[in-house]
Amino acid sequence: MIGTSLCKWAISYFAVAIVWLLLAEVLVVAGFCFPNHDIGGPDTLVIVHMVSIGWLSTVLCGALFQFVPVLAARPLYAERWTLPALALLTLGLTILLAGFLTLGGHFNGSPRLLPVGASLLIAGFALVVANLGMTLWSARPLPGPARFVAAGLGCICVTAAFGGMFSLVLSGTAIGAQWPDLLVSGVPIHAIAGLGGWLTFTAMGVSYRLLAMFMLAPDSDARLGRLAWLAGIAALAVGAVGGVLALWRATGVKLALLLAGAAALLSLIAYGRDMLGLYRARKRRALELNTRMSLVALASLVAVAILGAVFLATGSLQSHVGALAFLVAFGWLTGLVLANLYKIVPFLTWLETYGPVMGRVPTPRVQDLVDERRALKWFMLFFAGSWAATLMLLVDEAPGFRVAVAVVTLATLGLGEELIRARRLADVSEPLRLPTGAVVPHLLVSRN
Amino acid sequence: MTQFIDVDVRPILRAGGEPFSIIMAALARLEPGEGLRLYAPFKPVPLFDVMASKGFAHREAELEGGEWEIRFLPDDGSSDAAEPAPAVASGGDWPEPVVHLDNRDLDPPEPMVRILAAMERLAPGQPLFALLSREPVFLFLELTKRGHQWRGGFTPQNDTYQLTVRVCA
Repeated sequence: MIGTSLCKWAISYFAVAIVWLLLAEVLVVAGFCFPNHDIGGPDTLVIVHMVSIGWLSTVLCGALFQFVPVLAARPLYAERWTLPALALLTLGLTILLAGFLTLGGHFNGSPRLLPVGASLLIAGFALVVANLGMTLWSARPLPGPARFVAAGLGCICVTAAFGGMFSLVLSGTAIGAQWPDLLVSGVPIHAIAGLGGWLTFTAMGVSYRLLAMFMLAPDSDARLGRLAWLAGIAALAVGAVGGVLALWRATGVKLALLLAGAAALLSLIAYGRDMLGLYRARKRRALELNTRMSLVALASLVAVAILGAVFLATGSLQSHVGALAFLVAFGWLTGLVLANLYKIVPFLTWLETYGPVMGRVPTPRVQDLVDERRALKWFMLFFAGSWAATLMLLVDEAPGFRVAVAVVTLATLGLGEELIRARRLADVSEPLRLPTGAVVPHLLVSRN
Repeated sequence: MTQFIDVDVRPILRAGGEPFSIIMAALARLEPGEGLRLYAPFKPVPLFDVMASKGFAHREAELEGGEWEIRFLPDDGSSDAAEPAPAVASGGDWPEPVVHLDNRDLDPPEPMVRILAAMERLAPGQPLFALLSREPVFLFLELTKRGHQWRGGFTPQNDTYQLTVRVCA
């Protein structure tokens, strides 16, 4: 069996992603957009894409470059593609945002900005998908968690394809003019494939292995994740078919989306049951902060499922879609990602710094690189802020929403500083900090 | 007529595991004169050296889809159809492990730290045996860097990873 090495640029992906997250949060606090007003408006699109591409997709790509080789027990197909992909994603997103700002009248740019930005983003995601896809391809047949990732990679292709077509429509090109209704009916597919398939489904798959690993729970049960996988795939397939039917203005679309929603709910319930099972079967009684915070994030996902079902039953889903999307993006995905970064960054730093001298001199433990008590305070602020912001959206209270997001921003800054301190080994006590042969890692790049 | 014990390592390899320990376990169960029939998804060339050093000749047959059936026969001079065993390149038979570690209940990355620390105290050529709850993918990187050799795989129950590491001789 081959070993897994450190992905040199994973830390750079994390850093770029956190910068995008902070930028988006600051813009919201500054009053740039309020999701309840005009959810499809250009200003909302700026924030949505900063969060979904700049923050969540970038951080997920970096984590997958490090983690897919572990899932697949194969080396990454092309390490040298990772930095160009990051450059393409960052540049593409910047240009795309400039395009949205032009659309919103904040900026006098060319209408070509949207398709140019979208093309660069598609190129960046293509590099990511090809790299991870080839890595997974060499490991067929795939173990359970890796299948979730493979499905997620399929979904990012769908998301990017629709995004590319939207950019042609929104920029007023002649090609785009052939599909006048694309925006109305294509946006749900774009959003379901992006938020549901790529971000949530991939995060679910990865968390099967990560949570089992961190809780010391046996994850060899062949049934683990099976129902979540089958129902999730059914939801994505039915959702896509329903979306395509909508494009053709066929009847029965609502039924397809309802079925997809039911399958998605079943998938989430099965996933929650599996996570609860891992939690109960764990050998490590006292859980580390990252695991506890992942479970808190999971509670947000449960809340999304319950609220979504209630709103659907009462027919008020349309007016609360902004609040639900915020809870998915922050309470669930951002919370889960920050919780796991809080483990991944210290672990990679520890491996990089102390791996070469391990066994030869005393080394600190991974836990010695962090101060959980200090970080817990930031995590509590983060989740309290996210839930308060969701509540403010539900009651349509814009100033309250901004105050809540300001709290989230403060917590993000605090957690960002914790990650920098881990990278700098700032919390490691002195005699152990730098044994002979160990060097402090670079802040943004790993030596591998 | 030689009796064979069948070992199918295809599912183990497909699941990403290392079948070496399972093959060795099957080998230990062989009665005198019995052979081992191995089914593998590829031609397991490195295994031929190991088996030759244990006194087994082999006959190979390609199955459909690039898979292989290999028959290992006790090489007591009576087997005429087996190819002559190639020279043993490296590895061969490893001595009994001098250190046994049960790291199954340790928090990661403590298993890795313990194994590397124990390896430092071993003499060249001495092996260490460890039980782990997971495949130690990050440990392999360090072992490679330090020039150690290892063999490992999950037990058939798939809940324990058995690892043997040998200090580079």
